Amino acid sequence: MLFETIKIALRSLFNNKMRTFLSMLGIIIGVGAVIAVISIAVSSREQVTSSISQMGSNLITISPGFRRGRFGGFGSSADNIFTMELGESIVNYCPAVKAVAPNNQTSGYLIAAENNYRVNIVGTTIDYLEINNYSVASGKFFSQYDLDNATDVMVLGSELAEELFGRQSPLGNKITFYYNNQRLVFKIIGVMEEKGMGITGNLNGSAYIPISTYLNKISGSRHIDSFFAQANSSEEAKLAVSQIDYLLFKYTGDRNEYRLMSQDQLLDTINQVTVTMTLMLSGIAGISLLVGGIGIMNIMLVSVTERTREIGIRKALGAKRKHILSQFIVEALTLSSIGGIIGIFIGYFIAYGVANMGGWVLVISLPTVLLAFGFSLIVGLFFGIYPAFKASKLDPVIALSYE
Amino acid sequence: MLRVENLTKVYKNGEIEVEALRGVSFEVKTGEMLAIMGPSGSGKSTLMHLLGCLDTPTGGRYILDGNDVSNLKEDQLAEIRNKYIGFVFQQFNLLSRTSVLHNVEVPLIYNGVRKRERREIAKEMLEKVGLGERLHHNTNEISGGQKQRVAIARALVNNPSLLLADEPTGNLDSRTEKEIMEIFLQLHQQGHTIILVTHEKSIARYAQRIIYLVDGRISREEVVRDAV
Ligand SMILES: Nc1ncnc2c1ncn2[C@@H]1O[C@H](COP(=O)(O)OP(=O)(O)OP(=O)(O)O)[C@@H](O)[C@H]1O
Ligand SMILES: [Mg+2]
Repeated sequence: MLFETIKIALRSLFNNKMRTFLSMLGIIIGVGAVIAVISIAVSSREQVTSSISQMGSNLITISPGFRRGRFGGFGSSADNIFTMELGESIVNYCPAVKAVAPNNQTSGYLIAAENNYRVNIVGTTIDYLEINNYSVASGKFFSQYDLDNATDVMVLGSELAEELFGRQSPLGNKITFYYNNQRLVFKIIGVMEEKGMGITGNLNGSAYIPISTYLNKISGSRHIDSFFAQANSSEEAKLAVSQIDYLLFKYTGDRNEYRLMSQDQLLDTINQVTVTMTLMLSGIAGISLLVGGIGIMNIMLVSVTERTREIGIRKALGAKRKHILSQFIVEALTLSSIGGIIGIFIGYFIAYGVANMGGWVLVISLPTVLLAFGFSLIVGLFFGIYPAFKASKLDPVIALSYE
Repeated sequence: MLRVENLTKVYKNGEIEVEALRGVSFEVKTGEMLAIMGPSGSGKSTLMHLLGCLDTPTGGRYILDGNDVSNLKEDQLAEIRNKYIGFVFQQFNLLSRTSVLHNVEVPLIYNGVRKRERREIAKEMLEKVGLGERLHHNTNEISGGQKQRVAIARALVNNPSLLLADEPTGNLDSRTEKEIMEIFLQLHQQGHTIILVTHEKSIARYAQRIIYLVDGRISREEVVRDAV
């Protein structure tokens, strides 16, 4: 009997193709949006978190607080303590910290032959490599000798090397750094390997010079913008953070004077943001599903009115209430499930397109698909029941005389 | 076969009450063919709806095959309609946008008959009314006379004990009218119990007996010919 009911329902849907399609549209859009939104959110988060965790979870950044340099005059006291000596103190007084590297950055133009390129120059020490789990691909990194003597040597990020020299090896070339109407000439001694993004930003587009050279010739001050610290292990990352915090609080007496951020915290923040965003967007998609359901109810009500006579005929021929009820419920369920399936495909293609553009791997989770599909069925059932109930309650004599 | 006793039907529309039937009593024997005549608004269709279990009477009793069906529930009435009663309407009342064959199958579906058997019975019935060649035509692709044949086949498909026809030739020309009435006559001769409503004496004369309704009451009865 159920099989017959489904066939009757399908037949009537097929007979009204246009109306069938229109009534499915809401569900199609709703389910499509849910699938697309969730897949895009999950895929992009996967992308970001995987490149962050590539960098190791024991990385901590230390930087002055937001009050730095307010009123253009004296900065906070943190300004005075953010010097190379602070890095040494941290290594000496925080046992959970393995290494500390300064991270001074400024942007300017690098000019090699006819190419010039806007870049970030990073002044740091050798420990930068280990802390960032970063290494040289060709040539070498600057040495303790370069640091002690503030030599004019430079190591290029992979993207930068390619951009400026193409396939040729940049090693041994002179390069001009143009900054603040100043020209500084560096000798290129190495090219870094390619690296994912993390809290340190895009490393591949940067150029690296000794911190001593940076302080002497570029910034002309003793100030360090920020430090990277590495904990002994990821288990000790939290401990390292609290030890550094203790030390800095002792120096400054104010937690607003400095900021500590670990990879773990960053991951947490990103997860929180994406979860919130996913929830919000899913909510919107859910509302469109609901609207789709109301659309189905609307069409079903029209359909019941339009087919009053058919209902009368069926009743005269012996259809019981349950027959009419199930016929219309199956119709609504068919509408919503076909709409749901089409929506899943459309959502998938949208997510696929976006993932392609973003250059990340598309993650489609089966639970998401099942959830969206199940929800569309529930919507179909919920909004199909009332019209079906109305149809089943029609009086046969009145229904038969309906024009 | 069936007996009605003092049957009344009152339609209530808010304050207005319409007494469509004011106490109708008669009996129909198995195998009999009865015609009901009367002016417009005299209650013929109302009576047919009650006899067909599409509606329940306000008062009186209706005994069908020895059972009182005056106060049954909706779904019980549906079952009686399905198994014991066949309808033929003036407006044909076929399901549109489906095939002739499917229309005839509908009562069998609600009777729970399996697909293959259903096909067989429906085909057989359509052949009986001369539509064996039109099984897969859409119902809007056939003539009025053919539609009424489909309706007759559909009415007979569950082998009902009672065949009800409310002005079955009302929408047909005189030649088709004769063809349809010949089918009813044949069915009568095969032993079917038939009640038909008509405006025309020439049609009523196919029956053995005519009941005249006026204003919701039986005004007189006329025997046309003896039972076959
Ligand atoms: N659903 C209804 N609600 C209210 N009044 C009704 C209803 N159906 C029929 N009537 C009234 O009951 C009376 C009998 O109607 P019925 O349809 O039985 O007449 P009829 O003899 O079949 O007429 P016709 O020859 O025109 O078909 C009429 O006065 C009609 O207006
Ligand atoms: Mg009538």
